[in-house]
Amino acid sequence: MNAFALMFLVAGLGLIGWLTARARAVRFDRGGAKRLHSLPGQHGMYVAMWTVLPALLFIALWSGVSPGLVREAVLQHPAAAQLPHFDFERDALLAEAKRVATTDGATAFDPVAAQLVAPTRAAKSYYGWLGTGVAILLAFAGGAFALTRIRAPFRARSQVERGMMIVLLIASLIAILTTLGIFLSLLWESLRFFSAVPITDFLFGTHWSPQVIDAAHPGKSLGAVPLFWGTFFIGAVIAMIVAIPFGLMSAIYLTQYAAPRVRRWMKPTLEMLAGVPTVVYGYFAALTVAPAVRDLAVSLGYTYASSESALAAGLVMGVMIIPFVSSMADDSIAAVPTAMRDGSLAMGATTSETISRVLIPAALPGVVAGVLLAVSRAIGETMIVVMAASGAANITLNPFESATTVTKQIVDLLTGESEFDSPKTLAAFALGLTLFVITLLLNIVALRVVKKYREAYE
Amino acid sequence: MSKSLVPETPTGPEEPAVRAPTDWKTAAMQKRIRRRYAREWRFRFFGFAAVVLSASFLAFLLVVMVANGWRGFTRTDVALPIDFAASGMVVERSQLATPAADLALAGAGLENAVKSAAATAFGPGGEDFISENAWLRVRDAIKRDPSLLDRKLRIDVPASTRIDQAVRGDGDAATRAAAARLQQAGVVSRHFNTDFLLESDSTDPVAVGIWGALKGSLLTMAVTFLIAFPVGVLSAIYLEEYAPRNRWTDLIEVSINNLAAVPSIIFGLLGLAVFLGSWSLFGYQMGPLLPRSAALVGGLTLALMIMPVIVIASRNAIKAVPPSIRDAALGIGASPIQVVFHHVLPLAMPGILTGTIIGMARALGETAPLLLIGMRAFIVTPPGGFTDPATVLPVQIFLWSDEVSRGFIEKTSAAIIVLLVFLLAMNGLAIYLRNKFETRW
Repeated sequence: MNAFALMFLVAGLGLIGWLTARARAVRFDRGGAKRLHSLPGQHGMYVAMWTVLPALLFIALWSGVSPGLVREAVLQHPAAAQLPHFDFERDALLAEAKRVATTDGATAFDPVAAQLVAPTRAAKSYYGWLGTGVAILLAFAGGAFALTRIRAPFRARSQVERGMMIVLLIASLIAILTTLGIFLSLLWESLRFFSAVPITDFLFGTHWSPQVIDAAHPGKSLGAVPLFWGTFFIGAVIAMIVAIPFGLMSAIYLTQYAAPRVRRWMKPTLEMLAGVPTVVYGYFAALTVAPAVRDLAVSLGYTYASSESALAAGLVMGVMIIPFVSSMADDSIAAVPTAMRDGSLAMGATTSETISRVLIPAALPGVVAGVLLAVSRAIGETMIVVMAASGAANITLNPFESATTVTKQIVDLLTGESEFDSPKTLAAFALGLTLFVITLLLNIVALRVVKKYREAYE
Repeated sequence: MSKSLVPETPTGPEEPAVRAPTDWKTAAMQKRIRRRYAREWRFRFFGFAAVVLSASFLAFLLVVMVANGWRGFTRTDVALPIDFAASGMVVERSQLATPAADLALAGAGLENAVKSAAATAFGPGGEDFISENAWLRVRDAIKRDPSLLDRKLRIDVPASTRIDQAVRGDGDAATRAAAARLQQAGVVSRHFNTDFLLESDSTDPVAVGIWGALKGSLLTMAVTFLIAFPVGVLSAIYLEEYAPRNRWTDLIEVSINNLAAVPSIIFGLLGLAVFLGSWSLFGYQMGPLLPRSAALVGGLTLALMIMPVIVIASRNAIKAVPPSIRDAALGIGASPIQVVFHHVLPLAMPGILTGTIIGMARALGETAPLLLIGMRAFIVTPPGGFTDPATVLPVQIFLWSDEVSRGFIEKTSAAIIVLLVFLLAMNGLAIYLRNKFETRW
């Protein structure tokens, strides 16, 4: 029985438990001194909880453990002795046997795998039914135990509420688990990468060409400096040259000049720029912007202008970031006390003088923090550079030349056909770790700046 | 800040306290004021230009997509005369009502019969005028009405990509001439392409459809919602209502805020390493936890990605419920759990749902993490369940954008239009919910 069906079954048992317990609790209620301590529904919840939670916990655990058990059982079979010892082929054959065993009408190509189909099927069904049996037993046992405890004075409510608090706590721990999971998995794979490639070669090497890796010195062609430069150049220079003036000026116009009606319409319109999926921007960049940029470059006299220039990707990325900069600037300008603005206007300054000499300097920390967050978003942006930037790793200051980024290389490294453990794929995790650490630092600095600045005015 | 705004008045060392009032009427002052107003006007103009230009970027993007994409929703058909009696095809009639009909017709050489019919009708090279899948249309027609096999008939079949492009004025001169000849013969017609909405991926741009990708997206979104919504709301409730202020709570808050800013591709790496990587537990080598390319993995990965968005939105919504409501409920004897689940949560629900829909819209448009976990397979049949290989709409757009064939440009743009319509609908729903149910206390 598959896990989904089993979960439904357990949920059904829980419902039955709830109904039974509620009916039972109502019978115990004699009024007066023998009044129920808790509502009948709470008794129901108590029993349902005991029915469902242990069984679900077991199912989760079992679905993690049982594939390993099935595998062990299959390997015990005499036919398994013919399996090759090399892990990769061995896994492939076992996977084939498993596929044939679980899909109707499939046939195995490999004779060894074909022999293993029957044992796989047997082991799968054995452990499947074992798991189902134990889960149902647990559900019944839990439910029965809870039912016997139902009495008029039984404090079902406090029990249920304690259980719910535990569920709430577990839900909020998932955020920490995710953060830990990201950090540990990136770190783990990166450490494996750094055991093959010296970390200094990776961080300070200036030659990046993962297509040809010298097996003896993999670090020679895995120097990430061109990627870091390309990421910085596209995300933090070109994109920001577009996004900062446009974002800042539109925030100023919409907050200080525009009529309320214009503001009400234009603000959501600009925010739509942030809602457009990045794959659409990427397509737009590759289809429309990149050829235009190349034509511009040719007309300016660059004969060998790339059609995958850094400028095209950076421009479109900048447009995508505009609403982000704009809303951060909006917030920090709005946080400047009105008294400062009014004071400046009362002294006879024009609105623009008030903005550029009073509001902006006062809001500067917030604006800077917003720009840092925007940079962190731009360097983590993937689809635009995957579709519009090139794969050639150059260190260049010329925006018409091609440059590549960390994110683009991660996608290129992991979507090619290669085995999981090669330095090539592990390099993607090392790049991911670098990206994660840099964006994390940018965010921490930015949030700290924002917090400090808020405190200064409150 | 260096230049003072107030004109400096000459003050002698002997009488420092007296300042002559500024005479604003002098020519110098008038000029100065004009200059300041001009600067004011320029500044304002720059602001206005920034808003207008940003909005026109959006408009330009949409116009380009619609201009390229609307043709993707139409299809060119060619009326093809077929004489089955002359084609020499032998088909067992009794099989046509059975599930084996497809096999029987294919085995009888229907594909070649259709091609040679095209060659007879349109001259040499005529088989290139109709789509490679044209015979499937004929097959379906025969299955509906087996008596067609005894007759001569004219049937509308999809034109090939070249003819399709040429009818619209693209392509090389020879194909355009052929298309013009067909148009003069009156066999060309143009229709709304329902197949685009009902079919799946294909190698032939006239035959592609988005249903496979759309269904993959829906399955993925279902998984994402079922995981991210309960977990996000429950953890928001805990953090906002019950959590003690201590180091652990701070840690949870910091990690939620940071997760919201982690680049999406990092979640793809997480999904790849955790859900698809090999695990060893107690010495057992287990292989991947979940099947590659499946909607289940994609949904889980995206759920982790948008959970922080939902938590932050839910916390803001819960925070906005006034304390008086909690006090009143506590006052009449509700337990802390009852206060939250009976009173605070229902009042905060519109805000929570708005945040959830916005998070789901973000997940629907997300591409990069799904590329890494292998949801970029060539999917010809729509996925039947959560564990089947699937692709999603944005990834399909990405895959089509890589195709060199000219016909894919309009299909890519058409798929983008569909995606944008979905996103617009979701955001519109969020705005509607916010306006309709938002309460100002």
